[in-house]
Amino acid sequence: MASPCFFREVMLGMRKRKSFIIAFVSPCVLVVLVMYLYPIIRTAIMTFFAIDSVTADVSKWTFNGVDNYVKIFTSPTFQRAMSNIFLIWLVGGIFVLAFALLFAVIITSGIRFKKFFRAAIYLPNIISAVALATMWIQYIYNQDYGLLNQILELFGLEGKNWLGTDMKFWAMLGAFIFGAVGYYMLIFINGIERIPADLYEAATIDGANKIQQFWRLTLPLLRGIFKTNITFWTVNSLTFFLWSKMFSPISSEAATMVPVVYLYDTVFGTTGNVQRDAGAGAATGVVLAVLVGLVYFVMNKLLKDDDLEF
Amino acid sequence: MKKKLFATVLACTLCVTTLLAGCGSQETPSSAENTQSAAGDSQAAETTPADNTSTEAASGEKKYEGVELTYWSMWNSAEPQGQALMAAAEAFEAETGAVVNFEWRGREIKNILASSLEAQEKIDLFEDDYSRITSNYVDYVADLTQMAEAAGYADLSYQIFRDRTTEWAGFLACVAEQPSVGGVFYNQDLFDQAGITTTPATWEEFLTVCQTLVDNGIQPVALDSTYAPFFFGYHLARNIGQDAVKELTVNGGWSNNAGAVQAAQQMIDFVNAGYLAEGAPDEYPNSQNKMGISRDVAMVVCANYVTPEVNTVTNGNPVNWGMFAYPAVEGGADPDATFVGFNSIAIPKYSENQQAAFDFALYVTTGAQGQNFADLADQIPADPNNTAPVSQTGTIEVLQGVTSPLDWNMGLNENGDLQTVIQETVVRLYEGEFATGEDFTAALDALY
Repeated sequence: MASPCFFREVMLGMRKRKSFIIAFVSPCVLVVLVMYLYPIIRTAIMTFFAIDSVTADVSKWTFNGVDNYVKIFTSPTFQRAMSNIFLIWLVGGIFVLAFALLFAVIITSGIRFKKFFRAAIYLPNIISAVALATMWIQYIYNQDYGLLNQILELFGLEGKNWLGTDMKFWAMLGAFIFGAVGYYMLIFINGIERIPADLYEAATIDGANKIQQFWRLTLPLLRGIFKTNITFWTVNSLTFFLWSKMFSPISSEAATMVPVVYLYDTVFGTTGNVQRDAGAGAATGVVLAVLVGLVYFVMNKLLKDDDLEF
Repeated sequence: MKKKLFATVLACTLCVTTLLAGCGSQETPSSAENTQSAAGDSQAAETTPADNTSTEAASGEKKYEGVELTYWSMWNSAEPQGQALMAAAEAFEAETGAVVNFEWRGREIKNILASSLEAQEKIDLFEDDYSRITSNYVDYVADLTQMAEAAGYADLSYQIFRDRTTEWAGFLACVAEQPSVGGVFYNQDLFDQAGITTTPATWEEFLTVCQTLVDNGIQPVALDSTYAPFFFGYHLARNIGQDAVKELTVNGGWSNNAGAVQAAQQMIDFVNAGYLAEGAPDEYPNSQNKMGISRDVAMVVCANYVTPEVNTVTNGNPVNWGMFAYPAVEGGADPDATFVGFNSIAIPKYSENQQAAFDFALYVTTGAQGQNFADLADQIPADPNNTAPVSQTGTIEVLQGVTSPLDWNMGLNENGDLQTVIQETVVRLYEGEFATGEDFTAALDALY
């Protein structure tokens, strides 16, 4: 039987450990509260006020209820931004994830020069988006000497203005997809390589061909990876900004308008317009945050975590 | 025990280094003079308005010895404007002893200025567009009226700049650094080649010039989609005036405005006549660059900075530029109204060195340094007594004569929430999507 002295030492030790834990954790907690939670709460509160400058003193704020939300949801520019971002998320997501999966499957199928292809496809991710966008705008889409129109001319077809109002969005999306595939491909490759080879051997012995193996084995076992990729893609799409700026360098354009650019223009004003509305900008930020949360929630519901062990 | 001691020493070292790092200045002055130590860093001597021409006090000490000015610039150090600023700062220091520390913030300076001024960051001078200075930062900038009067600024600047700044801010809020003016910029050689001897003053004459150019195998007008609202805005303002454009932009009702319908129809006819350069409206700057590369496009409707932009692609063989005012429309609004803009220098009202800052602002924008600034940047001089570079010939006279200034895009930007969709509709107008002016105005009304 343990002596009372022993219990006292244990209790003392626990108390010491507690104070140690508090001492070590409190700086982090403080930093999180001040640097993270405070801006979030402040932004959320700002959405209910009319505010010019994003750092204006609270005494200059004027309460205006849900007017900022009404303003952005009735704004044709915000509506356009939302429809554009939905298309980027949906169409871009389908193409990016499909190509990423296709390349991942090909690269993990035992082809020669696997490392070269993997590096080549991932390469656009290590090149600055500014350089990539410039390359696409000047050397691929240019009406006079761009690659696309040169190819069309080879077949005797008339060139097109790829950056005209009707095509600019799709041109931007195409360039963005090109730059994004490699990142998601790597995640898929990692997922595929986790699947034990003996499962495929067993499937082969059972008579399953490569396509059947892909549909019945690879895809179901990549469910968790899909969830990760879709979540990453959603967050990346909703924060879409640089490509939009590159495809409309002087002033924002409707064809390339996305919510973050709308937020940016609303908060800081635009070329030739000095109006600023930090309240509406904050409302846009909150809407975006809610959207990310919503997509994450839906993804959790639709794609359950892996219950398979392999 | 030893372990405990060691851990204590490590912890203390960590704390001290963290404190030192945290307390250290984050500013990394990038001035032209950053190699020369600022003797009075902490002194930041307060100066009082004094005789601007006297740079040395009676004791022989330089006027601003020990003064250190922090200058937030909208340029970067590699740009010609940045080079001119650094050269001016060097000369200013030699004359007055004041050290100017530049922080190159680039064009996105507008995103951080308001917050920085609210936080009273160490800024003695900053640059931005005068419309933003006189609206967004007006509560934070110093009134320069008295210093300007003492320095005779009225003789060193454009009347239109002083009038507009004072009208918007209620006082002289800034000093003009780089003016801009809008109009039609053309290649004089192509005009000569086509036998065009006089520049058009009316829309009808303009169309005749375009046809003459076409007949001579020359494409009349370059247009990049970015500047489509500038072109159409000018035309619309010539038809109905800028105030009416603003009213329509904010409240709609385009279809009910006969002038707007007429302006759109005239532009549709212009496009259908084939007066736009091949591929226009193109992606910026492809169309305007054709004026410098293929040299078969004669004109562009833009602000004056288009000329040095195009000259950068001419391999040292600059275009022989000319400029004329946007043509008048018969029965339209004020034909003399002209777009003017000014990148300007302002001084925060909390700056402890306002007089030194003002003197430097004047030093860099007028006289020999002002001329150097204009020459290096290939832009209009801020001091009308200086000479415009060749590519800007005639612009000083235009600026001096402006009585009815127009805003950027002549009111089409007035509705910030519809700006991008209006711009897109205007670009579609130039893409030939609308058959009639009524179709165009109906499309605009559909946005409201």
